Amino acid sequence: MKVLADGDGQDLIALERRSSSLRSAKSAASYAVLVLFTIISVGPALYIISPAFRDSKSLFSYPPQWLPSEFFLGNFQFLLTQTNYVRWAMNTLIFATGVTLIALVIDTLAGYAFARMQFPLKKTLFGLILATLMVPTAAVLAPTYLLVRFLDDWTFGLVGIDTFPGLILPMTVSPLGVFMMRQFIETLPPGLYEAARIDGASEWRIFTRIVLPLMKPAIVVLGIFVFMLQWANLLWPLVATTKDETRVLTVGISTLQGQFVTNWGVIAAATLMTLVPITVVFLFFQKWFVQASVAGALKQ
Amino acid sequence: MAEVIIRQLTKSFGENTVVKSVSLKVADGEFLVLLGPSGCGKSTILRLIAGLEEATSGEILINGKIVNFVSPVNRNAAFVFQNYALYPHMSVRKNIAFPLATAGMPKPAIDEAVQDAARILELSDLLERLPSQLSGGQRQRVALARAIVRKPAVFLMDEPLSNLDAQLRQQTRLELMDLHRRLGITTIYVTHDQIEAMTMGQRIAILKDGELQQVAPPLEAYDQPANIFVARFMGAPPMNLIPVSVSGSEPTWSATTQGGSIDFDLKSVGITQAAIGAHMSESLQIGIRPEHLSLGAVGTGLSGKVRFIEPTGSDTFVTVQVGEKNVVVRCGVNETAKIGESVGLAVNPAKMHLFSADGWNLRTK
Amino acid sequence: MTTTSATPEWAQLTMSPDECARERSRFRRHALKPIIGFLGPFLFLWTLFLAVPMGWATWLSFNEGGLVSDAKFVGFKNWTTFLNNDELRTAIKNTSVYVVVAITVVFGLGLILAALLNNNKKSQNFFKVALYFPLLIPPIMAGMIFFFLTHYDMGVINLLLQTAGQDRVNFLGANPNALMTIAGLEVWRGLGFWVLFYLAGLQSVPTDLIDAGKIDGARNTRRFLRISLPTLRPLMLFALVIALIFNFQLFDSVQALTKGGPTLGTTSIVWFIYKQLFTFQQSGVAYATSLALLLLVVALTIFAYGFLGHRKDGLK
Repeated sequence: MKVLADGDGQDLIALERRSSSLRSAKSAASYAVLVLFTIISVGPALYIISPAFRDSKSLFSYPPQWLPSEFFLGNFQFLLTQTNYVRWAMNTLIFATGVTLIALVIDTLAGYAFARMQFPLKKTLFGLILATLMVPTAAVLAPTYLLVRFLDDWTFGLVGIDTFPGLILPMTVSPLGVFMMRQFIETLPPGLYEAARIDGASEWRIFTRIVLPLMKPAIVVLGIFVFMLQWANLLWPLVATTKDETRVLTVGISTLQGQFVTNWGVIAAATLMTLVPITVVFLFFQKWFVQASVAGALKQ
Repeated sequence: MAEVIIRQLTKSFGENTVVKSVSLKVADGEFLVLLGPSGCGKSTILRLIAGLEEATSGEILINGKIVNFVSPVNRNAAFVFQNYALYPHMSVRKNIAFPLATAGMPKPAIDEAVQDAARILELSDLLERLPSQLSGGQRQRVALARAIVRKPAVFLMDEPLSNLDAQLRQQTRLELMDLHRRLGITTIYVTHDQIEAMTMGQRIAILKDGELQQVAPPLEAYDQPANIFVARFMGAPPMNLIPVSVSGSEPTWSATTQGGSIDFDLKSVGITQAAIGAHMSESLQIGIRPEHLSLGAVGTGLSGKVRFIEPTGSDTFVTVQVGEKNVVVRCGVNETAKIGESVGLAVNPAKMHLFSADGWNLRTK
Repeated sequence: MTTTSATPEWAQLTMSPDECARERSRFRRHALKPIIGFLGPFLFLWTLFLAVPMGWATWLSFNEGGLVSDAKFVGFKNWTTFLNNDELRTAIKNTSVYVVVAITVVFGLGLILAALLNNNKKSQNFFKVALYFPLLIPPIMAGMIFFFLTHYDMGVINLLLQTAGQDRVNFLGANPNALMTIAGLEVWRGLGFWVLFYLAGLQSVPTDLIDAGKIDGARNTRRFLRISLPTLRPLMLFALVIALIFNFQLFDSVQALTKGGPTLGTTSIVWFIYKQLFTFQQSGVAYATSLALLLLVVALTIFAYGFLGHRKDGLK
C-alpha cells in the first residue's frame, strides 16, 4: 500500500494524510458506538445493585433515588431466612451439573459410535436422530410431563415429578451434542484409532485411553454449552417441580413475584446474588464461553 | 516368525474393487516390498493383512492359520503407519508401552521390554518426551519401537519413510534394513518409491490397479520385467519403448523401426519361435533401457537427431528422436553430442525386450 | 505372465463359501457387541424422552383428557378447537410479530456491531466479553432486570424521562408496548450472541478476497457490502432459520414480565400451551398446539437443511 513513485510523492502523501484523518474520525465514531452498546449490555445488570440494597419504600419514593442512601441488607436477610434461596441455588447446581455430566457421557459415547464404529442401519439411525435436532422442549413439554408422571408409578417414585432424576433425565437428550461429538471425533486422525486396534485395545480402551484425552477441548465446549442452557432453563423445571425440595433458582425467583404483592428489593437481591458467581466464573473462562456459544450454532 | 500367504484376495468398497484376486506368498523372515503407484491397492492389501479392513473374498494366512476372521491383535502383526500414528498425549515411554499394557503385562516386564526396544532404536534418552517434541526421524523410530516391543510375527509397514526428507530417508532405510537383519521378522513393506523397493526388498511385488503384475527379486524385476508397466515403473529414466515391426525367420530376425532396424536372434532375447510366430503380426514394441544404448556414428543401428542433453554429474542423458519417438541414452560424461546433431544408436540386442500388443514381455526366463 | 497362469496349489482357497459366510457373520456379530454399550445409553434416553413424547403428542392431539383422566378419542375435535381458538390466534399473531421485530432488530444491530468490531482489532476482546455478558443471565432474571428498567413507577427509563421533563411511558401495562418491551429484552439478551456469530463469519471470509478488495481501492463500507456480506449470505440464511426456531419458543420473558397480559397482548404460543395444560387442564388443545409447533419447527429445519449445502461456502 505504501509504495510511492518518486514523481507524484507529494500529492500522494497529502492524500494519505487527509484520508488518515478521515479514517481516525471514522474509527472514533465506531468506537463510540461500541462503547454505547457496551453500556447498554452491562448497564442494566449493574443497575440491579442499587435496588438490591434499598428497601421497598425507597424503591418507590419520590423524588426517585438512584443510589441507596444507606446500605440496606434486609433484602438479603429476607432471601436467606424467609425463602429457600440456598436450596434453590443448590438445586440449580445439581440440576445443571447433572444434566451436563450425563449429557457429556451419553453424547461422547454415542458420538464415538457414530464416528468410528461400523454397524448396520448406522446412517438411518443417525439421520433419524438428526431429524430431532431442532425439536424444542416446548413442543414436547406436555407429553414429556405426562411421561414423567407415569414413570413415577413405573419406577416406584425414582423418576417422577419433584424428583431429581425426573427433572434431569429428560433434559439430557440432545442430538446436537451427539452431532458435535461425532464431528469432533471424525477430525481426530483415524490412524490413532487403527494403531490402538493393532495394539490390541478394545473399543472401550481406545475410547478411554486414546479418544477421550484428545477430546478435552470439545468436552469443555459442549459442557459449557449444556450447562449454560440448563442453568437458564425455566420451562421444564417449572413444569417438573412443585416443591422447594427440587425447585431451581429460575423457578424459585419467579415464585418471588407474588400473586398480589411483590417485594422488588428481594427480587433484585436474588438476581444479584445469582449473577455474581456466574459472572466470576465467566470472567475466568470467557474464551471457552464465547467458543461454546458460537460453536453450538456454527457446528450444526 | 511366520509365513504369510494371501490367496485370491479381493477387496471392494461398494462398486469400486481396489484389490483384484491377489495371491502372494511371503516366506518366513523375508522382506517383501509391495510396490506400485498411488491407488494401486498396495496399502489396502497391507490393511487387509493387518485386519484393519475386512476382505471381500479370498484368504489370508499368517503362520498357516486363516486369519480373515481374527481380530487385529490376535494376528500378531505390527503395523507402522505412514504418519506414525503416535498417541499425541502420551510420552514416548507410554507410547511404546501401550500394546504391552493393553495385553495386561506386569509393570516390571513392561519397563524391561520398553528399555530393550528403546535401546535398539536409540530412544533411551527420549523416553519422557511427548511426540510433539520429537523430530520426524525420532517419531519414526518411536513408531518402530512400538511395533517391535510386542515381538510380532509380522511387520507391516505402510510407506514409513515418505514423511522424511531425502537425506534422512536414505539413512533410515539403512537402519530399517539393519533392524530386519538383526530381528529377522517377516516384513511386508509398502512403497511407491522404486529406489526404496530395489534397495530394501528381497522380493518385490508390483501392483497396478489392484492387480499383481510381477513378483520377483529386484534385479530380476528390473532385468526381466513381465510387462510394459513393470518395465516403465522400475528404473529412472524409464525404459525406452519403440514401435517395431518384426520380420525374418530362423536364424536371423529383424525389428524395423522408423529410425532403422535391429537384427537379433531369438536365443539372445530369450523368445521362443512359437511366441514370436503367434505375435509377429501384432504392433509390437521393443523396450531397451538407456544404459543398453550407446551413441555412435550415423549408420550404426538406429539413427536419429539429438534433442536434449541432460548432464547429472555422474552420467549424461541424451534424448534422441528416433522417428516420432524420443529415446533416452545414458552416456559417459566425456561423450560429446550436440543438439540437432544426427547420431546413430547402437543397441545391445541381448538386453532388448519385445512386448506384445497387450503389453506382455515375450521373453521367457 | 504371472496373472494369466493357472492358480498354483498354495493359492487355492481352502474355506468353503458356506464356512466363510458362517465365520464372517460370527466375526461381525462379535464386533457389534460393544455398540450396545456405546450407543445404548443415548438411544435409550432419546427414545424415552424425545421419540416417545413426539409420538405420544401426536396421538394425544386426537384425544380428550389424558393428563388427569383417561384419554378418549375425539378425532379432529382438538384440531378444530385449536383452529377456532381466539386466544390461540392471538398467541400466533403475537409470536409472529415478536419474531419479526426481534429478529430484524437483532440481526441488523448484530451485523453492524460485528462489522465495527471486525475493524477494531485492538479492543475486540473487551467488547466481545461485554456484549456477550447478558447471555449469561437466564431470561427469567433478565426479565427481572428489565422490570427495574421499564416499570411505570420505579423503572429507570421512566425516571430518566421524568427528570428530563417528558411523559412517562407505560412499557408493560399497555399494548403493543408490552410485546415490544419483551422483544427489547430478547434483543438485549441475544445481541452479543449474534455479534459473535457474525464476527466468526466475517473472520472466515477469505483474506485474499479482502486484500483483493483493498488493492482495487474499495472503501470499507463498500468492501463490506460487496465482498463480506455476499460471502456471509449462506451463513445468514442458516442463522435466520435457527433464530426463527428459537424465537418461536418465546416463554421465559413473558412469564417474568407480563404473564401474557395485558389482555392477551403478550400471550405467546408456548405460554398458551403452558396455560392450557396447567391452568385450564385443556390438554387436548395443548397437544394439538404442541404438535403444530413441532410441525412448524420441522418445516423450518427442512428449510434449513435446504441451505446446508450453501452453508459450506460461507464458512470453511
